[in-house]
Amino acid sequence: MTATPDDGAPNAAATDLAQSPFLSRFRPRGPVWLATPALFVLLLVLAYPLGIVLWRSFSDPAIGIDNYVWFFQSAVNRAVLQRTFVVAAWVTLACLICAYPYAYAMTIVGRNMRLALILCVLVPFWLSGVVRTLAWVILLQDSGVINSMLRGIGLPPVKLIRTLPGVVIGMTQVLLPFMILPIYSVMKGIDTRLLPAARSLGAQPWKAFLQIYVPLSLPGVYAGAIIVFILSLGFYITPALLGGPRSILLSSLVQNQVLSLLNWGRGGAMGVVLLVATFLLLAIAAPLMRQKHTASRREV
Amino acid sequence: MKKFARAVALTMTCALALPVWAQDKPVAGEVKEGSLKGKTLTFVSYGGIYQDGQVAALKEFVDKSGVTLLNDGPTEIAKLKAQVDAGNVTWDVVDTADLPPYVHCGTLFQKLDLSKLDVSKIPPGQVGECSVPAMNYGVVLMYKNETYKDNPPKSWADFFDTEKFPGVRAIDGSGDPTGGLIEQAFKATGGDPKAMTSDDIEKGIQKLRDLGPDTIYWKTGAESQQLAESGEADMVMMWTGRAMTAVKNGAAYTPVWQDWLVVMDQLTIPVGVKDTDAAYALINAYLGANAQAVLTETTSYTPINMDARPKVDEATAAFLTSTPERNAQGYQQNIPFWVKNFDLAAEKWNALLSGN
Repeated sequence: MTATPDDGAPNAAATDLAQSPFLSRFRPRGPVWLATPALFVLLLVLAYPLGIVLWRSFSDPAIGIDNYVWFFQSAVNRAVLQRTFVVAAWVTLACLICAYPYAYAMTIVGRNMRLALILCVLVPFWLSGVVRTLAWVILLQDSGVINSMLRGIGLPPVKLIRTLPGVVIGMTQVLLPFMILPIYSVMKGIDTRLLPAARSLGAQPWKAFLQIYVPLSLPGVYAGAIIVFILSLGFYITPALLGGPRSILLSSLVQNQVLSLLNWGRGGAMGVVLLVATFLLLAIAAPLMRQKHTASRREV
Repeated sequence: MKKFARAVALTMTCALALPVWAQDKPVAGEVKEGSLKGKTLTFVSYGGIYQDGQVAALKEFVDKSGVTLLNDGPTEIAKLKAQVDAGNVTWDVVDTADLPPYVHCGTLFQKLDLSKLDVSKIPPGQVGECSVPAMNYGVVLMYKNETYKDNPPKSWADFFDTEKFPGVRAIDGSGDPTGGLIEQAFKATGGDPKAMTSDDIEKGIQKLRDLGPDTIYWKTGAESQQLAESGEADMVMMWTGRAMTAVKNGAAYTPVWQDWLVVMDQLTIPVGVKDTDAAYALINAYLGANAQAVLTETTSYTPINMDARPKVDEATAAFLTSTPERNAQGYQQNIPFWVKNFDLAAEKWNALLSGN
């Protein structure tokens, strides 16, 4: 993700490379061959362990679906699974609301300002999530910075730490870069002359923005939303530290089964349920996104 | 004549047996010079100043025996299970929480051969079938001076009495349920912890739930310390080490020693280690009075050798749990009961901790 202001045609360089005599020799097999290291790593560190988890969920301690029956019979598990998806949705929404204007601002400011904005996104990104979460503890706790300020100006304190809103605030901050960067990378490729063009054809400025710019930026929004949503589903440290008993997410329950109770079959089943639920949700969302996407392309 | 012959035979047997016995009977803290030269042992514990202190306590053993000591951690029973399942155990001596050696005795942890250890100086009742204590500490109720002023809580009963003692409670939610706390909660409902049945676990848990939605379940020792230092909670259930550090850092809290919950870390030898005798030698050295004094001086945890005489400052001494007075006030959870009901208790505890 470079910040040079004049890379409006990012594909030009790639096309040049592909046409070079050196690479054209490899062209027929090239793309597949290039993917092999990544595929190999994925097979080794993702597919293989995932297969073991799946197998264990059906075989540990006995062959069958006992672990899944147990999962869905427990009210705690069902409640926490639902909560996990609700929290992920809130975090995705909160990230979107914060990230969209921010990414837009990054495309319209000058070069130095853009660098500063990118740094603001990336610097917290380089810090450990645990450190950032602990900083939020200091900010959100009852005797913390926010409540001291509220008391200072005569307002009643608000309960933030160990509540669901507290968890959403902390997770939003940790995940914000994953929303800003994809949106920005799409936005910077949008030809901004389309807006004056629309206006010259009689569109109100806000209408031009909503009907021309927003649809063009949607691929970035979808990408960011999916990344943030999926990462939220697996969050562990932030809800554990900022949340109370009513904001525990599924990963904490998995951790308990795997690390403290040594029920690896049950832990595996919980992971598989989360994974399948996520896939289902994406399967429902994907056609919707594709439709919008092609629609916006047609408008161009 | 027969009698005489028998007496001679008996004497002979004793005379023959005695030197063997005297030679082999281990003495806590002692190891033969150069006996483990060229060997390597991996010691696993929870890191931080605790493991540093344990390594310091083992320095004499390492120097004398010639063993190469490797350190790993933190202890995770799941990792150990993976090693045992795979038949490739690289952890030789493992420091664990109090219950796992009982729950997994014989499956993950070896049954200990007590002829290879000198356990005579360990406080009574602490040697398990698969474990010896690694150190003692306590879980103590700390209350905020400012909140309760002249009428402070005096026992766990007051901890569970939210009418007479209003205020925010903070409870150890870092992992497995604390059996002692559930027993005290059950006692607060009018039950008798000594006669507890598995159905009573829910009653105890319900009493905890009744403390209200403001109750904090802290996840790490550091968090409990932070709760005290910032004054967030009015009564905090704390590990003595953390309580001591919080007070040293200026937290205006006072411990309630009546029925403080006795807790210990355990030393274990996993099933399938390559050199069991070397592992025994390490544990036997660790149990020595000098080693235990060093451990306490470096970590502030209570030594588990009754002859250990650590030199510590006043603040640390105030939180040591090995004095006769503290021994009299301590409350020991019903270990066999919690081992038997481990899964059930953990399930109910997790339900409590996930808000259900």
